[in-house]
Amino acid sequence: MIAKMALTPDRDPHVSWAPEREQSSGIAASVRGVSKRFKKSRVLEDISFDVAEGESLVLLGASGSGKTTILRIIAGLEQPDSGRVILHGKDVTDLPARERGVGVIFQAYALFPRMTVEKNIAYGLKIRRRPRKERRETVDRLIKLVQLEQHRKKYPSQLSGGQQQRVAIARTLAYKPQVLLFDEPFGALDAQTRVHLRREIRALLRQVKVPSVFITHDQEEALELGDRIAVLNDGRLEQIGTPDDVYNHPATEFVATFLGAANLLIGVAVGGFVEIGTAKLPAEKETRRFRDGQSVKLVFRPEDVCVSQDANLPEGCRRLTNGVIEEVNFVGAYERLTVRLDLTHRKGDTDALYEVTINTPQRMTGVPIMVTRPKPEANALRYKTGDRVAIGLTSFSVLPNYTLARQR
Amino acid sequence: MKITSIRHVSGFDVARPVSIGMMLGIMLPLVLLPLLSIFVYGFGKGPGVFWSSLVAPEAVFALKLSMVTSFWATAFNVLFGLFAAYVLSRHDFWGRNAVIVTISLPTAIPTAVAGFALLLLWGKYGMIGRYFSENQQIMFTPYAIILANIFVTFPLAFGVIKPVFDTMSRSLEEASATIGATRWQTFWHVTLPSLRGAIVSGALLTFARAVGEFGSTILVSGNLAGRTQTAPLYIFAKFNEGQIEAANAIAIVLALLSFVIFSVLFFARDWLEFAQEA
Repeated sequence: MIAKMALTPDRDPHVSWAPEREQSSGIAASVRGVSKRFKKSRVLEDISFDVAEGESLVLLGASGSGKTTILRIIAGLEQPDSGRVILHGKDVTDLPARERGVGVIFQAYALFPRMTVEKNIAYGLKIRRRPRKERRETVDRLIKLVQLEQHRKKYPSQLSGGQQQRVAIARTLAYKPQVLLFDEPFGALDAQTRVHLRREIRALLRQVKVPSVFITHDQEEALELGDRIAVLNDGRLEQIGTPDDVYNHPATEFVATFLGAANLLIGVAVGGFVEIGTAKLPAEKETRRFRDGQSVKLVFRPEDVCVSQDANLPEGCRRLTNGVIEEVNFVGAYERLTVRLDLTHRKGDTDALYEVTINTPQRMTGVPIMVTRPKPEANALRYKTGDRVAIGLTSFSVLPNYTLARQR
Repeated sequence: MKITSIRHVSGFDVARPVSIGMMLGIMLPLVLLPLLSIFVYGFGKGPGVFWSSLVAPEAVFALKLSMVTSFWATAFNVLFGLFAAYVLSRHDFWGRNAVIVTISLPTAIPTAVAGFALLLLWGKYGMIGRYFSENQQIMFTPYAIILANIFVTFPLAFGVIKPVFDTMSRSLEEASATIGATRWQTFWHVTLPSLRGAIVSGALLTFARAVGEFGSTILVSGNLAGRTQTAPLYIFAKFNEGQIEAANAIAIVLALLSFVIFSVLFFARDWLEFAQEA
């Protein structure tokens, strides 16, 4: 029932639910330099981003990062202290919510409890005093689109969470919204339904071609739903880019650790290498932007580590150092190794030689790093505690080490 | 095995019938028998006497007057309660809590005091009443009864509606706004339907209380038979005159009316609470 709708993407292929307009700039929504304070605390600081026509952008951040406030500012439910909101070239910063034509899918869907599915969907047209015939036709098409034909006379309380969400989407599509805003759309659902529903919504959005902004704190959700992801931390935009960008080339430590697990080592950029204690990692391209002797952070994902029992690391793998297997765990889809690296201080180093960060928020300072291996590789060559191995990296990021200057 | 199912006696538990019996034994003379006695006595002389007492012109007038004055007091207090609840739960202002306490105050004031206070304000020599000419006087007319009813039942509808407003999810109204509705459209199509249950129960409570109002009414109405005598005053007057049957007939009607209102409130709870879901 839930899955069937994701598999029929070409239903009603000629209908676009995006507003009719000349496709000029290709930018559907812009947030320009928006800042906001509540009482004394800063919620948003100088946030700017664009949402392209037909694009889906995910605002990813922990609770309290300000992501909901951005959404409410775009919707007109909250006023920014400074900055502008532009929808399809029109500055709407001073318009009230009802004149913006934005579709908001609230966290608990906010369906009108005393109206049937049909009436909920027709509400926007009723408010706009559209003729009865047009209302009926639009509702019919939308009910078909979201596959609720059998439920059109039901009340929201008689529907499942997923069905309610589809009604909420149809209710906004009815008035051809400028942009769709989803506030933690899967927060209230269990893990399994969540995965189903986001695929369903992704398919639906491809079909209706309405630009969308999602809000979530779930990185997996962000990677799956977003054409682009904007990572927010404490009211600031840390990075905005494609899922591939933010996952594989995180611009900041926060992005690296918030999206998935990451290992973090502190070193120095010297002559095209990252020196970490006594280890030297060739990184000419990655260290180009640093001056010699600058303190840097080496960030890499557990799955980007290659491990070998002889000195011959696979091709494309840059050698870091040697280490000892400390722990071997099977975690379902893959194997997780804890490897203690042979890194020693050089003379004069500070004590923070490296850190390992595993999926936030606990941060252990110490020798080990996390390595994951896919099952076939793990089955082909088993390691046991105490094995000595060579360690290399296929991919990593080198970030400036501002730790002391940037204590937030 | 559940820990809570520990029993002190195995087999027949004496505590159960004894405690139920005790409870009923206490309730019987205090609540159940008095109510029963109205009906026993009322029909004691046959339905004919009951019926003729009921259709006596003064009795009919008293019942009608009670209904009409209670209706207007209810209409006013429900509308005002709705408005006050909206203002007080949507806007924060200096002194808001003081206003909330003041609205609830009439519950705590003895009804005789309320009637007396109204006389002092609206009476011929009262602060406002003195500016009215002789034939404009409000006291000792049906309008005085409505005023007294409004005063006494003032907080009831407000008290039922306000908590529903407070707990109502703001996102419903926000959703309506983003869809394009004006404030008024949102109130009419979204907010008001969600308050239906609270409005109905608030109105029933107010009406039930107003119909039975005695203390303040007797002071402000003048208790003129056929002109300003409400049903409770009629009962009191006829009892004083020794016409027990006449008093009793009206007492039965008022008691039945209360039963009906109470049953609606009690059994329609599901329907009323459905409104407060979501």
